[in-house]
Amino acid sequence: MDKRMTADEVAAELRDGMTIGIGGWGSRRKPMALIRAILRTDVKDLTVVSYGGPDVGLLAAAGKIRKLVFGFVTLDSVPFDPHFARARQSGAIDVTEYDEGMVAAGLSAAVKRLPFLPMRAGLGSDVVTTNPDLRTVTSPYADGEELLAVPALRLDVALVHLNRADARGNAQYLGPDPYFDDDFALAADRCFVSAERVVDTADLSSAPAQSLLLNRGAVTGVVAAPHGAHFTSAAPDYGRDEAFQRHYVACAKDPEAWPSFVDRFLSGDETTYQSEVTRFQEAAA
Amino acid sequence: MSTYTADEMMSVAAARALSGGQRCFVGIGLPSTAANLARRTHAPDLVLIYESGALGSKPDWLPASIGDGILAETADAVIGVPEVFNYWLQPGRIDVGFLGAAQLDKFGNINTTVIGDDYANPKVRLPGAGGAPEIAANCHEVYVVVRQSKRSFVDQVDFVTSYGHGRGNGERERLGLRGAGPTLVITDLGVFRPDPDTHELVLTAVHPGVTVEQVREATGWELRVADELATTPTPTSDELAALRALKEASSS
Repeated sequence: MDKRMTADEVAAELRDGMTIGIGGWGSRRKPMALIRAILRTDVKDLTVVSYGGPDVGLLAAAGKIRKLVFGFVTLDSVPFDPHFARARQSGAIDVTEYDEGMVAAGLSAAVKRLPFLPMRAGLGSDVVTTNPDLRTVTSPYADGEELLAVPALRLDVALVHLNRADARGNAQYLGPDPYFDDDFALAADRCFVSAERVVDTADLSSAPAQSLLLNRGAVTGVVAAPHGAHFTSAAPDYGRDEAFQRHYVACAKDPEAWPSFVDRFLSGDETTYQSEVTRFQEAAA
Repeated sequence: MSTYTADEMMSVAAARALSGGQRCFVGIGLPSTAANLARRTHAPDLVLIYESGALGSKPDWLPASIGDGILAETADAVIGVPEVFNYWLQPGRIDVGFLGAAQLDKFGNINTTVIGDDYANPKVRLPGAGGAPEIAANCHEVYVVVRQSKRSFVDQVDFVTSYGHGRGNGERERLGLRGAGPTLVITDLGVFRPDPDTHELVLTAVHPGVTVEQVREATGWELRVADELATTPTPTSDELAALRALKEASSS
């Protein structure tokens, strides 16, 4: 079964108010081509679950996020995303502020279709007092331990970017870290994968079998998106475009400069984006 | 003896706290500086673990961020972030969690979330929890390295991001957290350890040339001083040379 589709077709599957999970980690292997496609739609009021990077910044800047569930938002080499910082400071988005392990526990519970998973970290912290819906659970065994019951983070849609995929939805990471992309995929009703290259199934066996992170059974659609993680990293295909990220940050900090960034890079389609990036890189070289 | 800065004294004192083949979970910044100094001086067998999944990392310079490639390139093994949490951190397989803090209180609770009383409308919003709460909850011990001032060293943090000893008196143990929590705090002025009963941080050593009065003035609560107050030995020329070489390599 051929599941190939375009980034715009994926974006068109989203509905107002949906909960979407975004794979990657900080400014690493983010499905940026899919995010850029969402920016071109009218969809709004999304609940976003993410180990956040510029995906969160861009969606926040475009007013797409109603609520964010997060463990952090960072650009790695730049500590803060300016759009996110502004949205957070102004209260423009609702937040469920967890730590990394709690987001992982919530995703894992959703993967297993359990209502919650218990954990220790977070007990006694103000994460509990600022998230009054959080409950604890007492072990029914002899230890009687009281643990934090992290509720499942079920997703309507997961968006992830991997290095390789076949047209049927088997997908492979070739870099050092899967992050939580498989959990995002399996916590969702539907998962859409963008990939640096869509290849023949046989070509997926050129890397070890354990690099096949996603099975076609868990994947609804596949998008061929070369440089689709730009400007985040997609090792080993490419590293983060630090110069472009700095440009993004500078423009995001400056309300005067941001409209021209949007105009140049985000108002057209993905092909326009990539060609403008090439021009930016040539001008900087 | 050559002169040295208060920051250098802090890094040297923090490095000395690590020894042998301890498995040490290292935060970027001051903790990473201290841990790598220890590894390059008296404790070459330290196993430094970074959240990006680098186990036994031996960087030649101080990584600018957790994603710095040098961490993975010089590691014994590289695992994914999920394994870091599921197999190492949460089950308590780490000896020392080495953390920094924007704000630390008299019971070793750490705030990296907001400055100000109102969570919804704070004076400053900080980067957030990240993985620090897991480290604080689960490592066998937690060491904190932080520059000390009345703003950073407070009676009660504005937001408990990473739980230390709560409000003391065994609250942590009653919560069921497995690790011992913060057992050592190193600043640019001195060294603090929790009282064994109340768990309030007590000044146990001052750095050379620092007076107790100076420490009091940089502490946001009524400071208790150990009966036998030590003075930190001055940095050796080897320690300073190793620290400066690390810094030099990092800026080039």
